[in-house]
Amino acid sequence: MGDWEPKSGRTLKRRRSSGGSTKEVAPKPIKAPAFRALVVDNGAYTIKVGFTTEEEPQVVPNCIMKAKSEKKRLFVGKQIEECRDCSGLYFLLPCEKGYITRWEVQKPVWDHVFSRSVCTIDENPVVITQPLFNFKSIQDCMDEVFFEEYEVSSLFRCTPTDLAYLNYAKHNKLTKSDACLVMDSGFSFTHIVPYVRGSKFLRGVRRVNVGGKLLTNHLKDIISYRQYNVMEETYVINQVKEDTGYVCADVKKELAEASKPFGSNSIVKNYVLPDFNVIRRGYIQETKPENPSEVEESYQVLRLNNERFVVPEILFHPSDIGMKSMGIAEAVVKSIMSTPKEHRQSLAKNIIMVGGNCKFPGFKERMYAELRSLLPDAWQLGLFQHADPITYPWKGGSALLRTHDFRNNLVSKQDYEELGSTLIQERFNNFMLDSRQLDQEDETGKHSTEFQYLSKLKSASIFGKQEVSAADSDIQIDSKAVETAALDKEDVGAEEAGQDAEGNKRGKSRNKALEETEVAADVEAESSEEDLTESPSLFPLGCASYL
Amino acid sequence: MTLPKTVPRGSNRIKENDKRRIIDETQRKRRQRKVMEMLESDNYHDDPHADLVMSKKAPKFEDSLEQRNVRTKKKERTVDYYQFKYRKNFHQLVDEDRAESEAKQRPSYMDIQAEESQIPPRHFCAVCGFLGQYSCLSCGTRYCSLRCMETHMDTRCLKWAA
Ligand SMILES: [Zn+2]
Ligand SMILES: [Zn+2]
Repeated sequence: MGDWEPKSGRTLKRRRSSGGSTKEVAPKPIKAPAFRALVVDNGAYTIKVGFTTEEEPQVVPNCIMKAKSEKKRLFVGKQIEECRDCSGLYFLLPCEKGYITRWEVQKPVWDHVFSRSVCTIDENPVVITQPLFNFKSIQDCMDEVFFEEYEVSSLFRCTPTDLAYLNYAKHNKLTKSDACLVMDSGFSFTHIVPYVRGSKFLRGVRRVNVGGKLLTNHLKDIISYRQYNVMEETYVINQVKEDTGYVCADVKKELAEASKPFGSNSIVKNYVLPDFNVIRRGYIQETKPENPSEVEESYQVLRLNNERFVVPEILFHPSDIGMKSMGIAEAVVKSIMSTPKEHRQSLAKNIIMVGGNCKFPGFKERMYAELRSLLPDAWQLGLFQHADPITYPWKGGSALLRTHDFRNNLVSKQDYEELGSTLIQERFNNFMLDSRQLDQEDETGKHSTEFQYLSKLKSASIFGKQEVSAADSDIQIDSKAVETAALDKEDVGAEEAGQDAEGNKRGKSRNKALEETEVAADVEAESSEEDLTESPSLFPLGCASYL
Repeated sequence: MTLPKTVPRGSNRIKENDKRRIIDETQRKRRQRKVMEMLESDNYHDDPHADLVMSKKAPKFEDSLEQRNVRTKKKERTVDYYQFKYRKNFHQLVDEDRAESEAKQRPSYMDIQAEESQIPPRHFCAVCGFLGQYSCLSCGTRYCSLRCMETHMDTRCLKWAA
């Protein structure tokens, strides 16, 4: 428990301010930030980089690429624009499951990003994003690179969801009582993070292991099985996904439409693949699919039908490819229901959706329909999606500079040298985190209620169209489930008490003022020791050997 | 770009259904794990520069990089420096995170993974992508029609049931 206890005057000060100051963006006599900062949203697929004084960031691929056609050079980040032939492009990616593990890739990409060709580091602070619970040794390396080699004057790290939240809070003039939920659906995974009283509510955080990379790889697989072998064409098929993919409202209806013959089928499209001679990027052929025009006859054409909408379905139903995990809408509901009761409706009203997967046409509408059917009918539901969900978190950088917590916790080079990595990383990791809520753990289970959305699920079609009857709209409490959950929780609690009785006592007295939290989530989290995606059972779609 | 066309072999199926092996649960799990690995992979093919690696012709990162305006030249590290110092695989990182999360009583990387879905799975035909109400006796793969079943038997199923 030690790390969460105040150790010095400095930490105490930070704690006190961490409650609400992050939200006080508009009124109060806060001086406009005296400095600008270089904001780096370090995504696993693209880096969004630029100064807070700029309108838009530059978006740079976070990878090194090798082309079959050019064996004399490598393409780092933006240099891919200079590559003539992008067929069979080979990717060196810095991240594994969204976390940097290949420094031999990340470092050269950063060197490129901070060179004159993109954006050079100056005397201003650098803000770089990291995933929630970024691993310690990754943070150690980031510290060394930025402080020792790049010699930044000061550094700050937070999560992309923090930035998205701050951006949204600033623009909507949210107050402390407005809870928000950020869903970030990116390349490696989808994170769902509820913010309660300006802090992340950790027991409500969820990660769905479905991201854009998995969708592209799945599309590659089914096209390779059905039409052409495109297993080596990740770059091109990713563009096919971006250009043709969409989220439908009702899968059954959509499949019925897709099964119609060519002339009357509104879904089937021919996609002209790039030849990297005349056509640099592929496109949907607008002529009637049954008679391709003369000009295009010499090009390779991919026919896309149900692939267009079945692939993005995996976000909502990972079970389509044999993963047991819940989909993103179900996980949002689970996340909301894991927070204290009085915040749930506010969370449902302020759902912020960011990340590349939100760009699928129909994504927001489907998300709305799914959430609408799973949440109580009386609740207001508010979904927000910016026109550019990829750069939205980056744009929260300027809001970040206005927060007290940022200024109090910015780490200077001197701090780095004097305090050491553990202390400075605590400043980063505790940003927008109310450590008191973690102590609630031992109090939970006593007054918790579980919202049963399963009963609603039974009446809803699993193919997207939601059929909710009025009778299902009430919140139903399954008292038996709650009792069992509470019992399980008490066992765990007793064990912990034995290990750290004093800490628990301290936690309990403080908890009096705080709300009870959901218990079911905690209990389930503890039993899910294994990565579900890695221990799946039966898989309905093909296998790993390709034609 | 020229891509090889996939040819479904639906006609010359061996009529030995009763001799087909049934893939048990363990094998099905292994098969699913392999699929997940494929869906997680960065590339399906080999490094096109692989044959150059040992020769001096292989392009180096340094050649591809513009000069960053480093303030202190001597602080510049080689490409391998960080990889050597901080090399850790994902499982090591997750284990360390678990220990740290216990010490700090915060949820760990594994804890925040979404739970199992309560929504029953849907079934799509592995061959054509439409709804698949039947499943293969050998391997459990879904299919929608006799035609798709035959394609499946001759292609992906065969590789596992042989
Ligand atoms: Zn079929
Ligand atoms: Zn089979």
